[in-house]
Amino acid sequence: MSATKMVSLTIEGRAVSVPEGTTILEAAKAAGVLVPHYCYHPGLPVAGVCRMCLVEVEKFPKLAPSCATAVGEGQVVHVYSEKALEARKGVLELLLINHPLDCPICDQAGECELQDYTFQEGRADSRYREPKRFNPVEDFGGDVLYVTNRCILCTRCVRFMDDVHEAPVLCVSERGDRAVISKAADADLTQPWAANVIDLCPVGALVSKDFLNKARAWELDRTASVCPGCSQGCNTVLETRDNVVMRMKPRPNDAVNQFYLCDVGRLDYHWMNRADRLESPKIRLADVLSPVDWEIALGQAAEALRGRRAYVVASPQLSNEALFLLKRLIGATGGEGAFRCATGPEAPLPGVDDLALRADRAPNVRGAELLGFTRRDGDLLAGLKSGDVLVVAGDALDGVDLRRAVDAATVIVVGTVLPVGLPTPVAVLPIANVAEEEGTFTNLRGRVQRFLQAKAAPGLARPSWYALADLATAAGAPSDDCALPSRAFAALAAAEPAFSGMSYDALGLRGAVVAGAEVAR
Amino acid sequence: MSHGPSAPAHAHGHGGEAAPYVPVFTEGSARRRELDDLISRYPSRRAALLPALWMVQQDRGWISEDAMREVGEQLDCTAAYVKGVVTFYTMYHQHPVGRHFIQVCTTSPCLCAGADDVVKAFLEHTGCKELGLTSPDGKYTVIEVECLGACGFATPVQINEDYVECVTPEKVPGLLAALGD
Repeated sequence: MSATKMVSLTIEGRAVSVPEGTTILEAAKAAGVLVPHYCYHPGLPVAGVCRMCLVEVEKFPKLAPSCATAVGEGQVVHVYSEKALEARKGVLELLLINHPLDCPICDQAGECELQDYTFQEGRADSRYREPKRFNPVEDFGGDVLYVTNRCILCTRCVRFMDDVHEAPVLCVSERGDRAVISKAADADLTQPWAANVIDLCPVGALVSKDFLNKARAWELDRTASVCPGCSQGCNTVLETRDNVVMRMKPRPNDAVNQFYLCDVGRLDYHWMNRADRLESPKIRLADVLSPVDWEIALGQAAEALRGRRAYVVASPQLSNEALFLLKRLIGATGGEGAFRCATGPEAPLPGVDDLALRADRAPNVRGAELLGFTRRDGDLLAGLKSGDVLVVAGDALDGVDLRRAVDAATVIVVGTVLPVGLPTPVAVLPIANVAEEEGTFTNLRGRVQRFLQAKAAPGLARPSWYALADLATAAGAPSDDCALPSRAFAALAAAEPAFSGMSYDALGLRGAVVAGAEVAR
Repeated sequence: MSHGPSAPAHAHGHGGEAAPYVPVFTEGSARRRELDDLISRYPSRRAALLPALWMVQQDRGWISEDAMREVGEQLDCTAAYVKGVVTFYTMYHQHPVGRHFIQVCTTSPCLCAGADDVVKAFLEHTGCKELGLTSPDGKYTVIEVECLGACGFATPVQINEDYVECVTPEKVPGLLAALGD
């Protein structure tokens, strides 16, 4: 294949050089100029139906839709010329003719492109005096509600279902001012990735039932995170208000999930807000757990571990940093580590390479394996020997038969909730969940990705790396090099060849792949 | 599968009846041969979509969601795509209509010539309560249409495939009687 030919042009006075065949809209993006648009989306085929991206190109007889016009050598493009602005003002006025302008009760308000562009370059009022067309709200199934009146018919949802999800159940029905998005008979949006149409919708026409009337977009604090739902490790944004996670949305990352997040992951965040959490360290006094200071609980745990082997069952929901510190604890006591992972059916997104809701429903299975934990899906406690101290780290015991745990003389729990059915632990150390701490996960392709803290942990709960560094130190594996999550990760990178050379700064928010991992299987 | 053009109005009542859908393009049927012949003229199967839908409408009187699915299967396109096409064109019926489908032209010249009164007369004498609704006996459906292209003979009315020109309210009862059942 020959080298790509480059084309040079000028957009809003900025010189830019892009590969031949690039559209003007994308070239403008490269030049740092935003061309207003609705139907264009980088993940979808070009439709050219909304006319919002009209720009003036010198020597063209009329305005060009920049999403569907390829660049030409020496072109001079004006995005904000009087002529272009006038045309887009007209487009906006037409789009708003039947739009209900119900922003005060619309979930999209504050993150609505119709609002933004109208504010930016639309008319302040409407000249339309006739009654507006009315259509009822329709339940599209799954998490999707279709508020027909707000729809601008950009067809992003139709194209997503047709070309990316390859489950073509949506269409534009009727025509002219009666046109609406509609489903085929007996079909609905219960496909595993269908709720992405909510994110793709530039206006408030497709809204989430889960998020319906829950919060205003401008009240939400947004934190970069990673979906803990499966081993794919889709990049996400956790959106919180008043220390409560209100929703989870995809964060674009071409190397992992493009623009998408599956419905299972998207809707599985409510547990991050659960109220029945461990809030204080506890120790066993006369067979009853009593709240105590961290130092006392850590001392009790160290006492229990003295001269004994630690059998660590770790959750694959724990970060690499936490697992690394558990590995130190195991090393100091001559013990071993195991984990189990819940599984479910795999659900790929057909239009994107190597993207699926994975069978392994935990974010850090690969990290646990790389750090030497043995996967025991059958009997998690198979390696537990008489006289061992059972260390339950993270909420690792969901769905495990605990009768054998009685064999362990002593139990230490490091978790967010107390496992049911376990003998009373000698010490309980409360930790933060994924939304409440910083750390990294390693996805199934070996990509190490950071997640940041979105909310405060309850009570005296500490981040897992913090609690486990103290526990490792108390057990004879000094871990004062792990006083910050970044330092814990640096210590991990220094000790583990697979993570060699990595640091939080180097990972950024896109992640990096561990040494020796095949990029695609 | 010999459904005459006048059969369907009873056969398909309003609102999902339990009777199973009988395909139009069954293997070896005349309709299937006709469709296959049409398809052979086009570069892609879906190019035959509009005529295929006409065949369904001629045989059944309207195009049900089951029929959309069948046509989609025949022409390698999805039921959603077929629905988009059926709903785009107003001349495809998405609901059963009367055996005599009466379209009264109400574009400007005909309105000047009193098309409004013609519409009223049809509604009154057919027993249709409203434009677009079918009479209780299943015989008639009356709608208004845009220009039928016979402005010199206002008011033109199209009944099924036939044009009747220069219709006045007085002529309506006689016209209906002549239609028979």
